Amino acid sequence: MRTASSRRHLRGATFLRAALVVSAAVGLAVGVPSVFLAGGSGDALEQAASHQEAAFAASNLPEPVAPAFVPGKPKLLRVSSHVKRWAVVRTVVAARVAPHARAPAITELETRTPEGTTNIVLVLGNRVDGAGRLWIRVRLAVLDEPSAGWVPREALGSYGTVTTRLVVDLGSLQATLFRDGQTVFRADVGVGKPAWPTPRGDFYIRNKLKGYASPMYGPVAFGTSARSRVLTDWPAEGFVGIHGTDRPDLLPGRVSHGCIRMRNDDILRLAKLMPVGTPLTIR
Amino acid sequence: MSADIERETSGPATDLTLEQLDGDGALQESIAGFYGDTRAGLLRKAVIGGTTMLATLASPPALAAEISKRNDVRIFQYALNFEYLQSSFYTETERAGTVARMEEAKAVWARTLGAHERAHVKIIKQVLGDAAPKKPLFDFRGNTESESRFTRTAVAMEDLTTALLTGVTPALRSQGLVAAAFSLLTVEARHAAWARHLAGIVPVAAAFDRAKPVSEVDRIVASTRFTSTLVPRTTARMEPKFVG
Repeated sequence: MRTASSRRHLRGATFLRAALVVSAAVGLAVGVPSVFLAGGSGDALEQAASHQEAAFAASNLPEPVAPAFVPGKPKLLRVSSHVKRWAVVRTVVAARVAPHARAPAITELETRTPEGTTNIVLVLGNRVDGAGRLWIRVRLAVLDEPSAGWVPREALGSYGTVTTRLVVDLGSLQATLFRDGQTVFRADVGVGKPAWPTPRGDFYIRNKLKGYASPMYGPVAFGTSARSRVLTDWPAEGFVGIHGTDRPDLLPGRVSHGCIRMRNDDILRLAKLMPVGTPLTIR
Repeated sequence: MSADIERETSGPATDLTLEQLDGDGALQESIAGFYGDTRAGLLRKAVIGGTTMLATLASPPALAAEISKRNDVRIFQYALNFEYLQSSFYTETERAGTVARMEEAKAVWARTLGAHERAHVKIIKQVLGDAAPKKPLFDFRGNTESESRFTRTAVAMEDLTTALLTGVTPALRSQGLVAAAFSLLTVEARHAAWARHLAGIVPVAAAFDRAKPVSEVDRIVASTRFTSTLVPRTTARMEPKFVG
């Protein structure tokens, strides 16, 4: 009785014989010397085939070892306009109006925010200057235009990515968080009174503060890159925050000094959904 | 200067060169044979970019007699860190828009390698389970935003991964893991050859690939400082001073 192994060897030998015959025929046709033509007869071919067959049959090699794991099907990266990047400011650096070292400076980027957290910037693009130096265009936490500037890549550290975007509508007094373009959060907000308006424009979330004991800011506060155009002498440079409140009865409304207030349960929900680095549009 | 900034080593990153990756000179010899000395000299000086990663293994040959399943885990933990490095590198390059600016053949290569490396990360993480290390924070220092720097770094990375797996795979105790590691190794070797072809470097430098000990891989990777020691602290426990 033939085993599976011996059947394989027999099939292999048949294939080998056929291959040798074909090789010899090709050799003849093109005039290439061949060991298989040494005897110039079919007997020689048979002998060679038998010899090869015996060599392969004797090896009796094991089957391949089954791998302990096999990766799944590779997936191409989904190209999405919703993915935005932010970068750590590694060294104090001047942000310039154009991507070259002699361009006028707009502002100086610090490595820390007024709240003591690592300073980050939203990444908008990149360009290589004539000297081969890589420059990154970043959103700036400044009052005046331009609100974006260029810094050399070496002044920045690693990149983070987000797929979220927060939109605060000063007309409808609502904040909406999108993830991958889909709405995942919506809440009523309080915004600046007419005397202390919340600034409109494109900004980003710089940090998250918690664990403090100040009821007027609620349980969590986000720092943004937006700054009040009126309260410029406010401590810590007059930045606009997004935070909770001890006066939920005033929401929605135009009730703040420029900050964006939410009910405490809303800001706690937002804190679970919105990472630092998220772009912010106030319109 | 902040504490997290201070942890960052000062001074420029050390770039890898083909010379560093080709200690025995086989590649240079081969390049010279194919392209002549001028081309070989040019490539020898070509900077390749780099990486920072911590050592978790001793040199495998010294421990060959003591390999254990625990060692298998450590080897795959190290391999996962390398896969993290590669997958992050390709993913960041795509997100930076660099791949979109490449000619089609090169873009296909970059996207395919990214997809492969992400698949490798996913499966090794699954295999290691709770023993899987967390993904380090990488700072590729501009090597993902320039096509030429990306290409050179990719060549170095794939070559280094191949040399690493060539060294550690025989040290695995589990035959199933050896088989899986070989399957990863052959893919990484093809990646390396593909990268070299696109970079204009001879795809197969020698008839025999030499392994690199982990200590040497570590040294090369650390010299590039791709693993960031500057971990951003974006959350703080302090009272806000916003305008309110």
